[in-house]
Amino acid sequence: MARESHPPGDGTPTRRATSAEPSTSISRLSVRTPGSQARGPQRPQQGGLSVSGRKAAPLIATPHARAALRAIDSRRAAILTPHRGRRQSLRAARETPRDFLLPLARALARNTQAIPSSSSSPGDQRTSSSAAGDGDTLFGGDAADDDDDDLPKRPRLSLPIDMEDEDDSDLQPHRSAGLEDENMTARSIELPRRALSEQPGSRYSLASNRMSDFFSGNANEMLHSEDVGIDSGFFPPINDLNEETLNFGPGDISAYERLDSDAAGHRVGEESGFGIEVPDMNESTFMIAPQVQDSPTHQAPEFSESEYANEILDARSDDESDQEPAEHNASREDVAEPATHGTAEHRAKKKKSIKVSKHGIEYPSLPPAVVKRLAQTFAKTSGAKGKISPDTLKAIVQASDWFFEQLGDDLQAYAKHAGRKTIEESDMLTLMRRQRQTNPHTTPFALAQRYLPRELLQELRMPPPIPLKRRRTADVGEEHEDVT
Amino acid sequence: MAPGQKMYPRATVKKIVKAHSNCNLSKNVDVMIFLDYALFMQNLMKEATIGAKQGGERGITARSVRKATADSLAKFKG
Repeated sequence: MARESHPPGDGTPTRRATSAEPSTSISRLSVRTPGSQARGPQRPQQGGLSVSGRKAAPLIATPHARAALRAIDSRRAAILTPHRGRRQSLRAARETPRDFLLPLARALARNTQAIPSSSSSPGDQRTSSSAAGDGDTLFGGDAADDDDDDLPKRPRLSLPIDMEDEDDSDLQPHRSAGLEDENMTARSIELPRRALSEQPGSRYSLASNRMSDFFSGNANEMLHSEDVGIDSGFFPPINDLNEETLNFGPGDISAYERLDSDAAGHRVGEESGFGIEVPDMNESTFMIAPQVQDSPTHQAPEFSESEYANEILDARSDDESDQEPAEHNASREDVAEPATHGTAEHRAKKKKSIKVSKHGIEYPSLPPAVVKRLAQTFAKTSGAKGKISPDTLKAIVQASDWFFEQLGDDLQAYAKHAGRKTIEESDMLTLMRRQRQTNPHTTPFALAQRYLPRELLQELRMPPPIPLKRRRTADVGEEHEDVT
Repeated sequence: MAPGQKMYPRATVKKIVKAHSNCNLSKNVDVMIFLDYALFMQNLMKEATIGAKQGGERGITARSVRKATADSLAKFKG
């Protein structure tokens, strides 16, 4: 089919090319053929255009071929456009003086008749080309003259080609390339970030600091236990391994040994920590030593704070068993807070809810449900949306623990200053006044009515000594205001 | 307006303060203490909400609470 269609194809492009309106045909041809053939041979060999047209037909079908051709054309256009621009500019620059000079020369030189070869010939060809516009003059012009002869005609040939090529190159290849690059790089770079993974570590470290406050008096001991733990961290797994290679119940044996070495009987945290280790050690015999050290580190962030506390205790009691948790806790203590608190060392024997104050008195923590309820209501009143996440609740509980600690210190100071050993309402009123929660305009009664349940309000009001004391000590002015 | 619709564990609060202060507590101080605690919580949550909104976070996060903790503790230092 293609060959049959060629003989008319041979006829048409020659005519079109010679007629110097090649915008459609030549642009197509230039799109199809350009990779292999240069333009110079194309124009004289216009039979070759049809041959290139053959090749182009299958190429158009595939989009990749189009894209490749467009890329090539865009390069070519990028190369060729400056020349064209120069030529146009030169033409514009040259033509204007010539157009004035030529009639002058003709008018002045009629007598002389001496016409130099180079300057006279373009004028002749212009007239001839504008009059005739045939292929013969074109070929002759292309072959013979470089600049001046081509100027009127080449723009017609080259302009539409380059224009279309430029449009294609400007639009499609750049956009697609840019999109591809952006997609690949942006997604691959943006997604993984450390912030989320790093935050929990800092949280735990923050949270565990105060949890370990009641051990902070024993920082020296902790340091010693760290050292021992670090030193022994490499050795005892080997021992465990030896034991385990011999017999298959190694976890039990090691656990018994640890129990023997322990003074305290709280095994819960340790068992939870090491029950997971043991199967690893059973499965593989010799490669384990690094794995054993790794496994508790991975599991460590999953533990709750009190488990950490227990593990600190365990690590203190026996060094071989709990190296890694001891290291964790000790490092967190060192990072966060130096030992400021008192001397008492009391070991928390239950998991949660029992901590030890600096006076050595165990105290339970406020139940998180109460804290959460309170925090949620206040968060709603302050305009926050959503629920309180467990992390947030943990932070709030921590803050409330610190608050009670601080409040206890202050109340103790006030009571001691008053020479009492009991904290009374007057101390609390003093404290609230110093906190600027109560002032002559906001009475503690108003606050209590706003924030306390009814039963407690009644208890505040009903017993006679309390309002009496309040009137005596703190709020004399308020009372006058109330009376008046 | 009434966050304390329900009772709070009075004995627990008493124990906590008693442990921290190493003092005895009179009969009904814990009510005032809890009142103070409620005020503290209100302040804390307010500050945390403000911090979260300034930080562009959605809702109150642990980070905002932790940031607000120091300020509100200092504010409630007697």
